[in-house]
Amino acid sequence: MAEKFILLVEDDADDEELTLRALRQAKIANEIVIVRDGSEAVDFLFGRGGHAGRDLSRMPAVVLLDLKLPKLDGLDVLKLMREDRRMALIPVVVLTSSSEEEDMLKSYRFGANSYVRKPVEFGAFASAVSQLGIYWMLVNESARR
Amino acid sequence: MELLSPRSVRQKLVGLVLVATLAAILVAILAMIAYDLRLYHTSWIADLETQAELVARTSAPALAFDDARVAQENLELLRYRPKVRAAALYDARGKLFARFAPDPELTFPSMPEADGVRLDGDDLVVFKRIVNDRETLGTVYLRADYELYDRLLGYLGIAAVVLVAAMLVAYFLSRVLQAVVTRPLLAIADVAREVTEKRNFSLRAQKLSRDEIGMLAEGFNTMLAEMERLNAELEQRVRERTAQLEYTNRELEAFCYSVSHDLRAPLRAIDGFSQALVEDFPKELPEAAQRFLSRIRSSTQRMGQLIEDLLNLSQVSRVSLERQEIDITEIAKQVTADLRGREPERRIEISIAEGLRAEGDPRLLRAAIENLVGNAWKFTSKTERPRVEIGARREGAPPTFFVRDNGAGFDMAYAAKLFGAFQRLHSNTDYPGTGIGLATVQRIMHRHGGRIWADAQPGKGAVFFFTLEPDG
Repeated sequence: MAEKFILLVEDDADDEELTLRALRQAKIANEIVIVRDGSEAVDFLFGRGGHAGRDLSRMPAVVLLDLKLPKLDGLDVLKLMREDRRMALIPVVVLTSSSEEEDMLKSYRFGANSYVRKPVEFGAFASAVSQLGIYWMLVNESARR
Repeated sequence: MELLSPRSVRQKLVGLVLVATLAAILVAILAMIAYDLRLYHTSWIADLETQAELVARTSAPALAFDDARVAQENLELLRYRPKVRAAALYDARGKLFARFAPDPELTFPSMPEADGVRLDGDDLVVFKRIVNDRETLGTVYLRADYELYDRLLGYLGIAAVVLVAAMLVAYFLSRVLQAVVTRPLLAIADVAREVTEKRNFSLRAQKLSRDEIGMLAEGFNTMLAEMERLNAELEQRVRERTAQLEYTNRELEAFCYSVSHDLRAPLRAIDGFSQALVEDFPKELPEAAQRFLSRIRSSTQRMGQLIEDLLNLSQVSRVSLERQEIDITEIAKQVTADLRGREPERRIEISIAEGLRAEGDPRLLRAAIENLVGNAWKFTSKTERPRVEIGARREGAPPTFFVRDNGAGFDMAYAAKLFGAFQRLHSNTDYPGTGIGLATVQRIMHRHGGRIWADAQPGKGAVFFFTLEPDG
């Protein structure tokens, strides 16, 4: 179980802390790797740049991906992941503030597994994050296995 | 009918030529006939008078010597003038002296009349005194055919034939020659038709003549050039405006996206950390501080709702409208089921008419019905026996749907404010809301070409009517 970790791609420090808090409250004890923008996410996933030499056999069990990110945006990251055989099947949950339907359609088209709008109210936010975390970490049998 | 109301310039020209020819030939023929008949009349009378004079001269001796036989012989010489039908001599006392008539039926006047020529039926009658040395010896009487009518009939026959022949010639000639006039005209008309059909203002009419039609062609071409210029200018302007609008639209979309994304993130942080404070430091925080934090949180959430509603309002204007057949009854049932699910403790009577159908955008209409039914739900929260009814008025076109409740209602004096954004007729404490819902609903109806209006009474309830098509 210890090798199962979550990759959180989030540029907003507040959202990051709230997400972590929500996951903690949901009693998810797995390691959580945090990257700050789209290009760092790609570096981490592909073992490049600052993450060069990373053990690429360890892949996240689920990626929580913000859409609006500096440098590469969330949809670009998603596209690159889905084009790579090693990452094509990693569950990706899009977490965003955007209520634009277009964003949701694009996310699903590019292969997102879930699309979650971050609500303003923390209670709702926490329950959305925790449900997703539990679902993808515990219930959903990873396709890699 | 074709001749009386010609459809083309060609027919009109041929018609004109025919009418002019007819008139000219008629006048010419009538003049000729009149002239000829007059000539015939005068020369025939002169001839007959001469004849009478001759008979008078030759018969004067016979009368003088009372020789009836010689007189008779003289008269009978007139058989060589077959047109003379009868002749007679009267003596000085007016008694018939000798007579001649190939037709034995003819009668003679018993007494001679005064000298002169007169018409008697179809005949010309001449009386002529026989005078010798101032002594009247007797009177000559001649009756001859007067063939004026026969001649007239003959002439009319010839005139008819000439007329027909002339009209035929004129018809064929004008058919051939009208092209000189009509060809340049038709050329202009063809260009005009092509311009209107193809909306091609670059076409030009050919100038085929140097007359008024040529001037028409020139004027027409000048107009076309002007129209071409104006059209190009207009298109250019439309392109510029469209580009401007598209730019503005993109800006607006980017703005909305930013609002939706960036304004919400800090709100979430305020809400989340306020909650964290309450959760993590329950002992350290005095009750007042906790209350303040909960006030902060509810304001944050309200702000979040405002942003959400504003975005929805702007989205109504931005999304493209997709019309399709919509089951309003079904949507209303789903919406009310949602509301019941959210507040299962509320006892409320809801009646939805069956078979409510309309043409419209499914997403926008659902949003509108959610708003209207949500309002009815909200404003009946303090009513004793709450009732919400969704239906349609049976009569009239376009179909009018309504959502009726027996809730708080409002004063119709403020009805004009009802559909303005951020306009509220109730305090937020009584009935929470952002004041954007009805503005959104109205915009949805307007985008469908329909409208929305309301009727209400304070404390008795409200009914909202809406249509999805233009009136009338």
